[in-house]
Amino acid sequence: MRRIRTGSRATGTLTNAALAAVTTLVAVTGCGVGGSNGAAAQQSVATDAPLKGEITFQTWSLKNDKFTPYFTALIKDFESQHPGTTVNWIDQPGDGYPDKVTSQVTSGSLPDVINLPPDIAHAVAKVGGLLDLTKNVPTLARDYVASGLHAYTYADLGDTAKDSYGFPWYLGTDVSFWNKAMLQRDGLDPANLPKTFDELLSQARTMHDRSGGKDYLMSRPPGLSDIVNSGTTLMSPDGKKFVFNTPAAAAVLDKYTAAFAAGYLPSDVLTSTYEGNSTLFTKQVVAWTTGGGNYIQSTQQSNPTLAPQIIPSPALDTAPLYVQGISVAARSKNLPLALAFGRFVTDNANQVAFIKLAPGFLPGSAASAGDPAYSRSDGTPQGDASVIAYKDMQTAVNFTPPVWTDAMNTNLNQQIALAMTGKESAKQALDNAVDQANQLLGQ
Amino acid sequence: MRSHRPYTPWLLVAPALLWLAVFSLWPALNTGVLSFTNVHTLSGGQFIGLRNYSLMWHDPHLRDAILNTLVFMAVCVPLLTFLPLLLALLVQRTLPFMGFFRTVFYFPVIASAVVVALIWQWLLDDRGLVNGLAEQFGLIHAALPFLTDRWLLLFSAIALTVWKGLGYYMVLYLSALGNVRRELHEAAAVDGAGAARRFWAVTVPGVRGTMALVAVLIAVNAMRVFSELYILGGRTGGIGGQDVSLVMLIQQAASGSDGRLGYASALSVLLFLLTVGPLVLLARWNRRVDQ
Repeated sequence: MRRIRTGSRATGTLTNAALAAVTTLVAVTGCGVGGSNGAAAQQSVATDAPLKGEITFQTWSLKNDKFTPYFTALIKDFESQHPGTTVNWIDQPGDGYPDKVTSQVTSGSLPDVINLPPDIAHAVAKVGGLLDLTKNVPTLARDYVASGLHAYTYADLGDTAKDSYGFPWYLGTDVSFWNKAMLQRDGLDPANLPKTFDELLSQARTMHDRSGGKDYLMSRPPGLSDIVNSGTTLMSPDGKKFVFNTPAAAAVLDKYTAAFAAGYLPSDVLTSTYEGNSTLFTKQVVAWTTGGGNYIQSTQQSNPTLAPQIIPSPALDTAPLYVQGISVAARSKNLPLALAFGRFVTDNANQVAFIKLAPGFLPGSAASAGDPAYSRSDGTPQGDASVIAYKDMQTAVNFTPPVWTDAMNTNLNQQIALAMTGKESAKQALDNAVDQANQLLGQ
Repeated sequence: MRSHRPYTPWLLVAPALLWLAVFSLWPALNTGVLSFTNVHTLSGGQFIGLRNYSLMWHDPHLRDAILNTLVFMAVCVPLLTFLPLLLALLVQRTLPFMGFFRTVFYFPVIASAVVVALIWQWLLDDRGLVNGLAEQFGLIHAALPFLTDRWLLLFSAIALTVWKGLGYYMVLYLSALGNVRRELHEAAAVDGAGAARRFWAVTVPGVRGTMALVAVLIAVNAMRVFSELYILGGRTGGIGGQDVSLVMLIQQAASGSDGRLGYASALSVLLFLLTVGPLVLLARWNRRVDQ
């Protein structure tokens, strides 16, 4: 492959003339073609410089009655510690956040300090849009939890495989939540909740049979997490290709297929009318869902009659790890201030204060990870859920590799749907999904 | 009368030409150019020759997308060319409440495609109104898989499109029917032609130009089918993506922060070529009939 150059010349043949025309057009039309710039990402920031000036700080759907006072106080605190500085806080709505960040990158208006989850951060880091924090924060590995930092370290970014592009901010995982009344109604023991996928299948069968097919225990199609939970490694050791088409993964798909055919899952689980596990749980069609550690608390507000029926238990098999972090824009015009504010937002004291507003999550700062305050329940189901989340987070795994794109996920979901409806074997579906993912990886 | 300077006409059409160049010609050219690069949403592209077109050839979804789109067009064009004409003939008459019926038939046109598709989704779902009523009357024992079977979903989307488009094309035919001379009908009637004969011998030739226009419009719209299939079948295009359309493929390829804009551009060029083909055929057919 060669870079597009404006000086291509036609050499006489029609083909060359056409190629020259195309390359000229590329230059003329300015289609945004241009390489990524890693130099900005790798620069060293003068951290000893006096802090002054103005920066912009962007959060993701956190400007509300609950969190606004926290951020207002946080920014005021920082500004008073560093006179002559101004932090402009902007918040983006939850929907379409990746698109918003994308447009900010392409228009060169990425905020100086920005809340990015690892997958979006990966896309921005790939084009040199984020500052390498490892290079500029010597205590990074000591200050933040390893799993959180690992989520912002991208093996595919060439020589920078040891670099990290985000301060871990808050970590989350999934807890299982069960509808006690439905379980009891269908003869299941709330004291003997499923711990593995196989136990879930068994109890789903019982619920289906005893309710005459009206109640469901399971209502979500399988995904990448189920494949990982089968003991399958998603990528080759060198991280250059996907290899998840294993017999173990196929066996899990086969189990889902059999359960779907037997009616243990709602029939529309593969269609556009599928409302999602959580909504069906709220409607009490389904007796199991997964959610964050504060799920019961939020349900208490949205559905007070359901909340008392909910009992929590650890996630089935291996719990997923969700990470949110704070990144610094590599092309910030005030890098010293942006870096200092990013560290300030994610230091231990500020993270702990933030997490108090969001029970069920855990700070990404190393100092707070062993805090016994998180491992004590007040005896309520919500308290139990918070403790379960804390314990699970110690072993939770981020299932989705940063190179896993929407297009790959769409392909996988399509293949899974074909397998579950019997149009393809599970092995064939996984082979296809792996082939397509590897093709996309190469693009 | 004062004579105009030679550049005056150009000055008059300059705003329109500028608009056309910036918002039509430039994007079209740029799409063609991008189709030879591997540009992504966030990363710059390199010239990769025909690789996107080669990838397209091996895309497992492309064959389905082309087939679905062509079937969609092949069914929609005749249905939406003739049914609105019949409807226009019905509501053309000056009878009591005809204004009400014309409004009712036109109503789906002004409704949002998304809203219409959502209503149809509710109608055709496994637990929707159609299946519910059919089961109630003992016509079926298990729900018809309108939204999960490949061909049923496609034809459901076609039915929705026809239903939504009837009113719009009916209005086009109403204006065309006004130009068909009544004397021709009267003469044919005097000669003993029945209603069907008068329809084929007088009405159809009288509105043939409008029919050609309608067919072209439908063909173009059918090639660009998106929202009907997207909403009825879901973002992946039905079970396993079997009901994906060409525009859905383009949308899937270009969306997200890892969107493959170069590949999506190549798909767009293909869509353009596939759309131009039927248009040329229709134009030739129209010219031949004229001659």
